[in-house]
Amino acid sequence: MNIEHFLTNANPSWMQYESDSDIVISTRIRLARNIANVRFPISFTEQDAEQIEHQLMNALLAINRENPNRFSYFKVKDMPQLQRQILVEKHLISPNLARRQKIGAFFLTEDESISILVNEEDHIRIQSLAQGMNLQQAYGEAKKVDRYLSKSIAYAYEDRYGYLTSCPTNVGTGLRASVMLHLPVLTMTKQMNALIQMMTRLGMVVRGIYGEGSDNLGNVYQISNQITLGKSEEVILQELEKVVEQIIQKEQLARKNLLLRAPAVLEDRLSRSLGTLKYAKILTSEEAASCLSNVRLGVSLGLLEPISQRKLNECMLIMQPGLIQQYAGATLQSTERDMYRAKLLQEKLNEQTRNNGEKGEDSYDV
Amino acid sequence: MICEHCKQRHANVTVTQIQNGQQMERHYCDVCAAQYHPFQFEMKEEPASLQQLMTNWFNFVPILKKENVAGSTAKTKACPTCGNTYRQFLKQVKFGCGDCYKTFSEQLPQLLEKIQAGTKHVGYVEEKHLKEKINQQISELRTLQQQAITDERFEDAAKLRDDIRALESKVEQGEEHA
Ligand SMILES: [Zn+2]
Ligand SMILES: [Zn+2]
Repeated sequence: MNIEHFLTNANPSWMQYESDSDIVISTRIRLARNIANVRFPISFTEQDAEQIEHQLMNALLAINRENPNRFSYFKVKDMPQLQRQILVEKHLISPNLARRQKIGAFFLTEDESISILVNEEDHIRIQSLAQGMNLQQAYGEAKKVDRYLSKSIAYAYEDRYGYLTSCPTNVGTGLRASVMLHLPVLTMTKQMNALIQMMTRLGMVVRGIYGEGSDNLGNVYQISNQITLGKSEEVILQELEKVVEQIIQKEQLARKNLLLRAPAVLEDRLSRSLGTLKYAKILTSEEAASCLSNVRLGVSLGLLEPISQRKLNECMLIMQPGLIQQYAGATLQSTERDMYRAKLLQEKLNEQTRNNGEKGEDSYDV
Repeated sequence: MICEHCKQRHANVTVTQIQNGQQMERHYCDVCAAQYHPFQFEMKEEPASLQQLMTNWFNFVPILKKENVAGSTAKTKACPTCGNTYRQFLKQVKFGCGDCYKTFSEQLPQLLEKIQAGTKHVGYVEEKHLKEKINQQISELRTLQQQAITDERFEDAAKLRDDIRALESKVEQGEEHA
């Protein structure tokens, strides 16, 4: 599979199911692993790096022969900046790996649900993505690859500390589980700060969706476990699931209240956002994210025409600067990007409206 | 002035907000101001009850414990494999290699208690590791068994033989699962 496949595809097959909740967007599992008796990337040599890549390649060649999960292999240093950026925007590789000059590689399955990052902060990071709330499934997939690799690779592992990692925040299980949530009304009603503080005390981390340190652009938050040592994988996943369920209930309640208290104002605001997406000629990523968030909320509350979550997820993805330029087929200055973004989102949403038109007015009630 | 929200663009809009009965001035750029303006609903969801709810979730035990700073005597010891000292580790917050965990075993528990839920791995056990450990136990038991036979303690030897068999079947099972 060549890299173009992964760059142009804004609707990978793992994203194609409609999830049952419009609040949960996706689930991500990451397992951090290192190879025994080889120094960690922070202090190893380029030779070490090469050898690790080779080991993984050999291990995965075997998996490709007997497994439908075929992996494609890419070296980071061979890739132009824009390609790296797009892969980060699609959450297929980390910003950290994308910045690498000499070392670093990754393996991707065709459906983009599993990626293996090589020589990032740790030698090996297995990542698995799933639509909606699917912690068990995503963990199961990551674990399959992990068990497979462990057949031919001796991991750095110790009785006392479990999987040894470069950073002590990952040691033990090496497991980071994350769920992406769309929480527009908790944000709007200013309940997020209190929630974030509480989650921190529960050993959870909350981040914006568009990378580390980013704001809650589009009101999408990523909730992850902070603890990796002293708790089993099962407990870590269960606790995250519980927290997420509680947050979902909170958001649902807040939505109900908002709808009761200010229905007309809300409908006006959300409709205007749809109007903006459909008719604006210039859209910054902030405005696009905010409008898409409102439209998502409006659709879910039945205040706007139905638009599939799949379509909205795709719009959220392609409005990012790297993907915009990929779609435009050219490097664009920021103003040009804002113009192209408006055009692209308009096209996407009009496709949708046409399809709805064919179904007729009744589709509202479905 | 820089926009309070995006912290990138120049702030040229002042928004006055009423928060908890207090008037507050906020400075935003055009772009951020346009986004903020629409939503002025101040939903009075009692934060106290929310806090209560969250605290009660899993009988939460605070992770952050006050801890004495680790003694500085052992801090100059360098890892024989990667050459890192504990001081260097603290600066980078990254270990240079797996052996650092052994090298800094004195300081580690204090650090891990602050950032983790414990200092011992209770998750998945590597199969190979499990096998190795059992094999080691088996060879230790075999030595004891030999000794018992030499000493003509045949009952002990028989018991040891059963223990060894039990462990051996464990290893075989592990191989089937792998
Ligand atoms: Zn701003
Ligand atoms: Zn070391």
